[in-house]
Amino acid sequence: MAFLLNCPNCGARNVHEFRFGGEVTSRPSPTATGVEWTSFFYNRRNLAGVQREWWNHRYGCRKWFFALRDTVSNQVQETFWP
Amino acid sequence: MDIAVVGVQIPPTPLLQRWATEVMANNKRMQRLEIQPTELIDRNQSVGFQFDGQTFTAHQGDTVASALHAAGVSILSRGFKYHRPRGLLCGAGRCPNCLVNVDGVPNVRACTQQVSEGMKVRHQNAWPSVNVDFLSVLDRMQWLMPVGFYYKALHRPKFLWRLAQRVIRRVGGLGTIDIHDNPVTAYHHRYHHADVAVVGGGPAGLAAALAASEQGVRVTLVDDQPDVGGHLRFNSGQHHSLPGLENGSGPDLALVLAGRVKESPHIEVLSGATVFAHYQDNLLTILHGNELVKLRAKTVVLATGAYEIPIQFENNDLPGIMLASAAQRLIHHYGVNPGNIAVVVTVNDQGYRAAVDLLNAGVEVAAVVDARPSYSQGLDAAETLISRGVTLLAGHAVARAMGKRALTAVAVAAMSGGNNRRIACDLVCMSGGFQPANALLQLAGGSLNYDEESGEGIPRALPDGVFVAGEVTGIHDLASSLLQGRIAGLEAATLVAEPATTAQLLTDLNQKLSQRKSGLPGEAIGSRAAWAAPEGKKTFVCFCEDVTVKDIAQAIEEGFDDIQILKRYSTATMGPCQGKMCLKALAGLCAQRTGRSVNDTGGTTARPPIQPIPMAALAGPSHMPVKHTPMDRNHRALGASMVELGPWQRAHNYGSPLEECLAVRQRVGIIDVTTLGKLEVTGRDAGALLDKVYTHHFSTLRVGRIRYGLLCTDNSTIMDDGTVTRLSEDRYFVTTTSGNVDLIEEWFNWWKAGTGFCAHVTNVTSGYAAMNVAGPRARETLGKLTDVDLSEQSFRYMRSAQGTVAGVPAIFLRIGFVGETGWEIHVPAEYGQYIWESIMEAGNEFGIAPFGLEAQRILRLEKKHVIVGQDTDAVSNPLDSDMDWVVRFDKEDFIGRAGLKLASERGLRNKLVGFVMLNGQVPEDGVPIVSGSKPIGKVTSARFSPTLKKGVGLAWIPADLAQDGTQISVLVGGKPQAAQVTLQPFYDPEGERLRQ
Repeated sequence: MAFLLNCPNCGARNVHEFRFGGEVTSRPSPTATGVEWTSFFYNRRNLAGVQREWWNHRYGCRKWFFALRDTVSNQVQETFWP
Repeated sequence: MDIAVVGVQIPPTPLLQRWATEVMANNKRMQRLEIQPTELIDRNQSVGFQFDGQTFTAHQGDTVASALHAAGVSILSRGFKYHRPRGLLCGAGRCPNCLVNVDGVPNVRACTQQVSEGMKVRHQNAWPSVNVDFLSVLDRMQWLMPVGFYYKALHRPKFLWRLAQRVIRRVGGLGTIDIHDNPVTAYHHRYHHADVAVVGGGPAGLAAALAASEQGVRVTLVDDQPDVGGHLRFNSGQHHSLPGLENGSGPDLALVLAGRVKESPHIEVLSGATVFAHYQDNLLTILHGNELVKLRAKTVVLATGAYEIPIQFENNDLPGIMLASAAQRLIHHYGVNPGNIAVVVTVNDQGYRAAVDLLNAGVEVAAVVDARPSYSQGLDAAETLISRGVTLLAGHAVARAMGKRALTAVAVAAMSGGNNRRIACDLVCMSGGFQPANALLQLAGGSLNYDEESGEGIPRALPDGVFVAGEVTGIHDLASSLLQGRIAGLEAATLVAEPATTAQLLTDLNQKLSQRKSGLPGEAIGSRAAWAAPEGKKTFVCFCEDVTVKDIAQAIEEGFDDIQILKRYSTATMGPCQGKMCLKALAGLCAQRTGRSVNDTGGTTARPPIQPIPMAALAGPSHMPVKHTPMDRNHRALGASMVELGPWQRAHNYGSPLEECLAVRQRVGIIDVTTLGKLEVTGRDAGALLDKVYTHHFSTLRVGRIRYGLLCTDNSTIMDDGTVTRLSEDRYFVTTTSGNVDLIEEWFNWWKAGTGFCAHVTNVTSGYAAMNVAGPRARETLGKLTDVDLSEQSFRYMRSAQGTVAGVPAIFLRIGFVGETGWEIHVPAEYGQYIWESIMEAGNEFGIAPFGLEAQRILRLEKKHVIVGQDTDAVSNPLDSDMDWVVRFDKEDFIGRAGLKLASERGLRNKLVGFVMLNGQVPEDGVPIVSGSKPIGKVTSARFSPTLKKGVGLAWIPADLAQDGTQISVLVGGKPQAAQVTLQPFYDPEGERLRQ
């Protein structure tokens, strides 16, 4: 793990400057069932392919942004603001 | 000069000494040759060093191995498993044969370690010495240690394995680290950037660096040798019609190329630097002296060359048997005579050239044994050898080497059988062909194709931004290497700088290269190892782990016929050389014995580090950032004992925590709370954001009010706590626990990003110094310094105000973590020390005392205030932690609401409660609550309460026991002791003092 990640604010930086926030999930509505919430808490798709994920430029501008990353090849296709 | 034998661990007896001396007396004497034009040593400068207690004299520029070889020391180490004597093999820092301990550092390669004055070199893995090693009895015990024996034997009865492990570890060793004789090498890390990184300083690498630099890009050239030039530096033949170079000898050409590189303002050279890994996006990790360089390049040219590899025949590990290139290095670099009578064993033309070098150095060449039916047509070297009367045995192979501690003869036979003969010699030069150094290429994501014709793994597909040149491509021709280097350098530069002029140049160069390649003899394209069906008991494939041809055969017989599991089972390729000497032989044997092609057999996976490096280099320097509060020097002046709390230094106590508690309860105390995390949340949606992340309401909090806030994760576990103060309509002042502020800032911003709220989160932690002034006389103390009305009626509990203290603007928060009337005062950090000193002075007449962390812990425990992270853990939620009063289910949504709802529906298993010890003990933090002998809970904090004069604490117990007055048993000193559950705070349960 030593790839470059293109922070929308700061440009290409070493991945060690970033915090990984996991795949982007969609939070259930407050009225959703317990099953839906439990699934939101504990289940992830764990996709083999291009997934949308959260990243935070922890040792840079400290902004959160999205990345489209191929989890198989580790290639980051795009980074953008939420 | 006799070689004294000095065991390192145990001094040998006089008898042993005499025996060893006699053994050594039989060893031949090696000498220095005449001055060689290419040598790296300075014969005018002597350097003295020790090997196992004996003093040797070397020349400046010698390596440990070259100096010892010159002095007639041929045994440098002992084998890993059988403890057979081992001498110089590769001479280039790749194989395990010359690992020694240098000045306390184990596993140093003697063949690349330059000697320095007073250096102390010791042997490893032998007792009492490398010359006389009693453990070599293991060489007769191979029946006890068949391949994979540690999977099969010594496992029953059970205790046997534990014993065997220890013995095996001691006997089969790669040196030991002596912590009492451990030199401290401070490694540091450096980040570096380049447009083009060229790995390898041979002709191809130099050509690539020059071609790239001509395009004006920044080039970093990394080479593992002391000087650039690669094999040119010991390649003494004359070269002509090379692209871009005058005619000359190898060393001359190396100097010309090195000079051009030195002149280029765009090329930086790292010599003596090992690239040990390639990571994604062209990050190269390099060990350069005591520096670990992380080089990020836009493009990479791999010109890593090829290794010469050994040949398999019985006893191919005897001292005196070395690679042809090792003998050439001894001659040309160090002016050392490699031996007296040599037999060259080869499978390619390289052996013939080496034989000429030996002859020129005055070594008698008894024969050149070539496994091929004949040498390549028109090979000058072969004709020279014939004219000088050297016996050439084509279609022959060495079956066996003879000798005990040193080589005395080889048995040679025709490949077709028959024509057996014995040739006396003290030197065998092996040239088993080349193995391209393609580990970095594999790490970069390139794929290889085994070329049956050449017997080498050729790059098949290259990742973007990675280029190859030179012998790593399987073409062993100097002119081709130079052309390939220029092409690769140009392409690499083109990708970075997009210069306009390179297209035509590249076309021309490619045309020249293909012309050159089509005219090459098959030989230059590769060197297929001819298989002489190696046999014999001790025919070594892997020198690191002592794995023989027989072991490989048996492992395959047992079913381990896939190269990856064959490797793991036999441990071949798994030693310090990482397969550099043996991978090709292993793949060849595996293919041969399983009836597959080498391509189908495949190879093992290259993994970092591809060359052994010290762990300390990876660890680097230890960086422990330390933060001091503005009042740090006051604490120290007051005699505080300081503790580390995350990055902060905090005062633990100022002598007596109990005295400090009494001061707070009876008079007034002051504690430095600068380390609290502090965030300002501002903007239109600031209240809405806080409503979202906290369990309580904050948009409805009135200006000037404070509320305790608890942060949960969405699945309901407690994350952090603190106070939230509404300073103005759209400005909140938030405190977090000391270590968590960065995480909480990230957390707030995450939810802000996810929800689109218009709010700004600013970390102001280091902007404010903060102190808590608490106790019955806090009001009088602060009253002397401030314009703020602190009276009970106007400044009530959980209210805030902004005013001045000693003339400095401050935020006053009336909160009560320690349970007394008190104010948390936040002032600009620059004034921290001044305000502290002003308050101390003002409080002097009231008996003010500073109190530390320990007193604060006791005081808050008397109030049953929870410390998040101490009393709660990763699964605690607000309901079971006795903080359900902070949870507002009437809010439509907040982070953790759904999880908490589910938790409350499920019912609570355990609860956090207070307890009082009934018989005067004070338990330690963390001891169990027991029922009979069964642990049912755990104490999270416990202290002696100076107010109650009893042990009190907080503990997790089953929810059904969480009733006021329930008796529980706490394990104190291993014995259950009675305690009583107390749901109310132990001190001032109604909070009257707090509100006064």
